[in-house]
Amino acid sequence: MRKIFNLTLGIVTSIGGFVEAGSISTAAQAGSEFGFRLLWAIAAATIFLAALAEMGGRIAAVGKRSMVAAVRERFGFHFQVVPLGAELITDVLLLTAELGGAAISVKMLTGIGFQWWIAPIGLVVWLVLWLGNFTVIENGVGFLGLVTLSFAVAAWRLQPAVAPVARGFIPTVPHHELTRYAFLSVSIVGATVSPYLLNFYASGAIEEKWTEQDLWINRATAFLGMGFGSMVAMACLITAAVVLGPRHVTVESYEQAAQMFVPVFGRWAVTLFALSLGVGCFGAAVEITLNAGYLLGQAFGWRWGVDKKRRDVSRFVTAFSIVLLLSVSIAAIGFDPLKITLISVALTVVIMPLIVLPFLVLMNEKAYVREHTSGPVGNGLLAALTILGAIMALVVIPLEIFGG
Amino acid sequence: MDVVRDVLDKAVVDRNGREMGRVDGIVVAVRDGAPPRLDAILIGPVALGERLHPGVGRLVGAVERRLGLDPDRPVRVEFRDIETVERKVRVRLTVGETAAEAVEQRLRGWVGRLPGSR
Repeated sequence: MRKIFNLTLGIVTSIGGFVEAGSISTAAQAGSEFGFRLLWAIAAATIFLAALAEMGGRIAAVGKRSMVAAVRERFGFHFQVVPLGAELITDVLLLTAELGGAAISVKMLTGIGFQWWIAPIGLVVWLVLWLGNFTVIENGVGFLGLVTLSFAVAAWRLQPAVAPVARGFIPTVPHHELTRYAFLSVSIVGATVSPYLLNFYASGAIEEKWTEQDLWINRATAFLGMGFGSMVAMACLITAAVVLGPRHVTVESYEQAAQMFVPVFGRWAVTLFALSLGVGCFGAAVEITLNAGYLLGQAFGWRWGVDKKRRDVSRFVTAFSIVLLLSVSIAAIGFDPLKITLISVALTVVIMPLIVLPFLVLMNEKAYVREHTSGPVGNGLLAALTILGAIMALVVIPLEIFGG
Repeated sequence: MDVVRDVLDKAVVDRNGREMGRVDGIVVAVRDGAPPRLDAILIGPVALGERLHPGVGRLVGAVERRLGLDPDRPVRVEFRDIETVERKVRVRLTVGETAAEAVEQRLRGWVGRLPGSR
């Protein structure tokens, strides 16, 4: 009974924690510019994410190690320093983007410039991490995040025709703006398969002391939680496609994206959009900050975790505080939060092989997962997709930036 | 045993199971005609930095001296003090007998003063 409860809780919190700055902005742009035609990218990226998260949970439950610890032990520090550095940089960038997204949402609600909100939001993020334990943090973020179901409500109420939506799940090559289409599909993958989500999930499995008996819960949480969660991102894309597409609104700011709620929610549109964006970004900011502490603590072998007294994990606390302070400082300079979001999600795809490939090697080794190794077909496919994605990202990012 | 594969980079715990860090470096004695022998393990960012590049190690060492950290770093644990090598390396010492937690303790002085840290 307790396991069923935990499973339900895990799924519900995954749904609430799924969308954030990256997924909202990429889905809104994709929907407004290409209708339903990029739905397949969200679906494919979600399967990819769930498969990786399941593996991270498996290493934690069976091998009793975080992904970061396992990579250092297997490949050594010489190797690890590269993915670790890359992940920290994308963490800082993405955290900056989430803080900016949350600040924009407060601006939408109050009318006061977003830069004024960066530091207060950063302080609240820090207070949550200082005062909360893992359960409170994970469930709090997840339950508050259920406000993002407004995307699902909007898509549902708009009643889009089923056939074109279904066709969106089959990849097609558009006749125009191929570069933009490829760039958005790469960005969607980067926004969905965030390294921070993977490591956060696996570290959570360690904080919650999962064992081999929890493997089925792990599998169900990863696939169902992220599967349902991705429906919120898909609903955002569908809403943008139905509302913004025909009006030829291209999303160049979050304020424009908020217009997608107008036909359904009327005068509550901006408020609901701001709440969804704000809570989504805030939750992600909490998780990314915590993840930076996890990364460093696990790589260097410090005592870590938010279920321990803070004075007993001083290095861990200091590490995540510094990362948060860094992102707050960058965000406060006043870069356009939407631009930072799009840069960081595209960059994520470029660094993905560094994080995913070593991890796939570990999943075949009995020393880490005993008899619960992954099959060669699945692993091969994940490896191929990761490399393909990175190559595609390296081609389309310059084309997008310098105008192909 | 293959010291590099089996020991290097593993987590180290003291005899009470308390984290001491990771095996950041190893001291190996190489003699003619005999396999290399593990003399000691090293724990601490200086040893880790040296593995990347001697210059990095010197830089980290200079920072540690500047901060006035215990000069007994990186921590050296002799082979005879290693109890077991399994998923973690377990040593016969306690973390308090070494300087492995010098940075943690220094930061605790700050973090521990904040309300809610206990």
